[in-house]
Amino acid sequence: MAEETHVAEPAKAQNKRRVGKKGGSKGKKRPRMLEGMPQNKPKKIDRKMKKLYRKRARDYNSDGDDNDEDEEEERDVGSDGEAEKEGEEEEEEEGLDVNGDDGNSDEGEESNRIQPGITMFVDGSRAFKMAFKSIIKKSVPEDALGPVLSAHKKLIAEKLAEEEAERQVKGEAKKEKQLLAEKGHVKPANYLDLNEKFLIGVATKGVVKLFNAVNKAQHAQKGLDPLRYKDAKAIRKRRKEAFFSALGKTSKPAVDTHAKGHTSKGEVDGEGPAWAPLRDNYMLTNSKLKDWDKMPETTAADDFGRMSEDSSSDGD
Amino acid sequence: MARFHNQKKKKVFVKLAVKKNQPSVDHITGNKIPKSFVFSRGKLPGPLRQLQMDLRKLMLPYTALNLKEKKRNSLKDFLNVAGPMGVTHFLILSKTATAPYLRIGRTPQGPTLTFKINEYSLAVDVAQSQLRPRCPQDLFQNPPLIVLSGFGSGDQHLKLTTIMFQNIFPAIDINTVKLSSCQRIVLLNYNKDTKLIDFRHYSIRLQPVGVSRRIRKIVQNHQVPDLRNLQDVSDFVTKAGYGSESEADDEAATVTLASDLGRINKASTKSAVKLQEIGPRMTLQLIKIEEGLCSGGVIFSEYGNGDGKKKPEKEDTKKQKDTDEDEEDMNDDQENLEEDLEDDEED
Repeated sequence: MAEETHVAEPAKAQNKRRVGKKGGSKGKKRPRMLEGMPQNKPKKIDRKMKKLYRKRARDYNSDGDDNDEDEEEERDVGSDGEAEKEGEEEEEEEGLDVNGDDGNSDEGEESNRIQPGITMFVDGSRAFKMAFKSIIKKSVPEDALGPVLSAHKKLIAEKLAEEEAERQVKGEAKKEKQLLAEKGHVKPANYLDLNEKFLIGVATKGVVKLFNAVNKAQHAQKGLDPLRYKDAKAIRKRRKEAFFSALGKTSKPAVDTHAKGHTSKGEVDGEGPAWAPLRDNYMLTNSKLKDWDKMPETTAADDFGRMSEDSSSDGD
Repeated sequence: MARFHNQKKKKVFVKLAVKKNQPSVDHITGNKIPKSFVFSRGKLPGPLRQLQMDLRKLMLPYTALNLKEKKRNSLKDFLNVAGPMGVTHFLILSKTATAPYLRIGRTPQGPTLTFKINEYSLAVDVAQSQLRPRCPQDLFQNPPLIVLSGFGSGDQHLKLTTIMFQNIFPAIDINTVKLSSCQRIVLLNYNKDTKLIDFRHYSIRLQPVGVSRRIRKIVQNHQVPDLRNLQDVSDFVTKAGYGSESEADDEAATVTLASDLGRINKASTKSAVKLQEIGPRMTLQLIKIEEGLCSGGVIFSEYGNGDGKKKPEKEDTKKQKDTDEDEEDMNDDQENLEEDLEDDEED
C-alpha cells in the first residue's frame, strides 16, 4: 500500500513487532477501520497533548539503547494477558495514521514518528499494571526474610545474626561510653529535700546579713551627698570611726556561718587583730618577713601570698 | 619562608570575646575587679561542656562568655592572653576515667585548687525540676554574692579555699552598693563529716511582707484581675487567697531595705528574701592544692602524701619552669588518677 511505502521506518517496526502474532487478520480489518475512522477524528490528539506524549515516550524509551528490542520485550509481557485488546488498539492507532496522511501530510508524519512511543507507553504501563497486580495478589508465607531471599535463607540468616551481634557489641560500647560521659551527672529531684532546704536557709541567712549591714551603713549616710565636699568629709569621718570600732572588736563572730565575701575588707569583717600587721608580734615570729625589703616585689599575687603566709604563721 | 613559619608558630589561638571597654578597676571603690576564664583541658563529653557553659554564665559579667578554645591551645596561651586582659582566675574543667575535675587557679602564679566533682547538675536540669523557673533579664548583669559556710574550722587548706573563693568575685563595699545589683548568690557549704563542698547558685528575690498575694500580683503584673467570682470589689482586698499564703513568712528571712527596690519593695516596708536555685549545682571534694598554676609544690593533698611530695616537687618546678605547661597538666591528671586508685583501694 501507498502508506507503507510512504513511511517505511515505523511500518517496519510495526511489522517486526507483529512477528508470529495474528498478522493475517490485520489486512482484512484495516479497510473497515478506515471507513469507521471519521467518527474518531474529533478524538484526535491536539498539539499540547502530542508534545506531552512525545516527551513521555522519549522518557520512557530513554533508558533502552535499542528501541526495537524494548518494544519487543514489552510486547511479550503484554501478550500474555490481553492480546486481543492490544490488537484492537493497534488497529485504531493505525487507522489514525492513515487519516493523518489523508488530511495533513506533515502531521501524519509527525504522528507516525511518535506513534510507536505512545503505543509502547500505554502497552508498557498496562503490562506493568498487570504484572504488579499479579505480584500483589500472591500470598506470601510470613517470613522475616521475605520470599525473594528464600534461596539464600541460610547465608542471609547467618549474616543477619552476625550483624546483630556486631551491633550489640557496638551498642554496649556506646552505652559504656555514654555512662562514662554522664558520670557524676545527677538530675535534681522535683522537691526540696532536707539538705537543699538547709542550704537555702544558710544562703538566706547570708543575704539577710548583708542586706542588714548595707541598710545600717547606708542609713547612717542618708541625706549626705558624697559629691559635696562637706558631706564627703563627714562621711569619711564616720567611716573611719566605724573602721576603728570594728578593729576594736576582738571577738570573732561566734556563728559558724559567715557571709564574708560581700563585706569590704577592713570595715565589717571585725577581724582586726587577726590581720597580721596589727598584732604585737608582727614580723618577730616569722623569720621570712624580717628581710622583707630584700624580697622581690611581686604583683597582684603578692596579696594572696601574704595572706596564705599569714595563715600559715597562725598555725605555728 | 622560615621566618614566616616562625611567625605562624607564635600565633596565639585563643579567640576572645571579652568586651574591650570593661573596667579593670571599680570606679567607686577603686578595688581591682577579678576576672576569670572558664575553659577545659582535654576533650569533654556533652554534659560537662554544658557545665562549662553554665559556669561561665555564673561567672558573668567579668568573664569571657564565648571563649573559643582549640585543641592546640596550651595553658601558656591562656596565660599569655590573661595578662593583658586582666584575668585573675582560671577555672579549668577536665575529665578522667574516674570523675570530672575542676581546678581553680589564680593567674599568673597560683595557687591552684583541684576539686573532684562528685556530683553535678546542670542549670537546665535544675530549671526542669522546678515548676516555675525564674530568669529575669538582668539576672546575669551583676556579679553574684558569695556566701561561704562551714569553712571556719581552722584548717589551713580550708582557709585558703575561703580566700580563693572570696577573691573570685568582686568585693562589695556596703557603703556604696546598690541593692538592685544583688541578684544572685553563690553558696559554698563545707560539710565537715563528708568533707564535701556543696556548690549552689541561687537567684535572690525580694517580696514585701504582710501584703496579700493578690495585691502583690496586681502591683507586679499591671493586669486587670479576674473579679467574676466576687460579690464586691472589697472582697478582692479582704478575702485571703490560697496558695503560698500558708507559707508563713520566716522572721529570719525578712530585711529592711536601705532604698527602694523596684516597684513593690519600698524602703519603709519590710521585705522577705526568697531564694530560687538557678544552677549549676556541684558537690566538690578538695583533692589537692598546688603552689603554682597547675604546677609547683603540693601544699595540701587529700590523700595524705602531700608532705612527702612537697620537697622534690619544689625542686622539680624550678627546673621545669621552662618546659611546656601541658606536660605538667598531663602529670597532674596522672597523679589524680593514681590518687583515685589509692582512694578506691582504701575503700
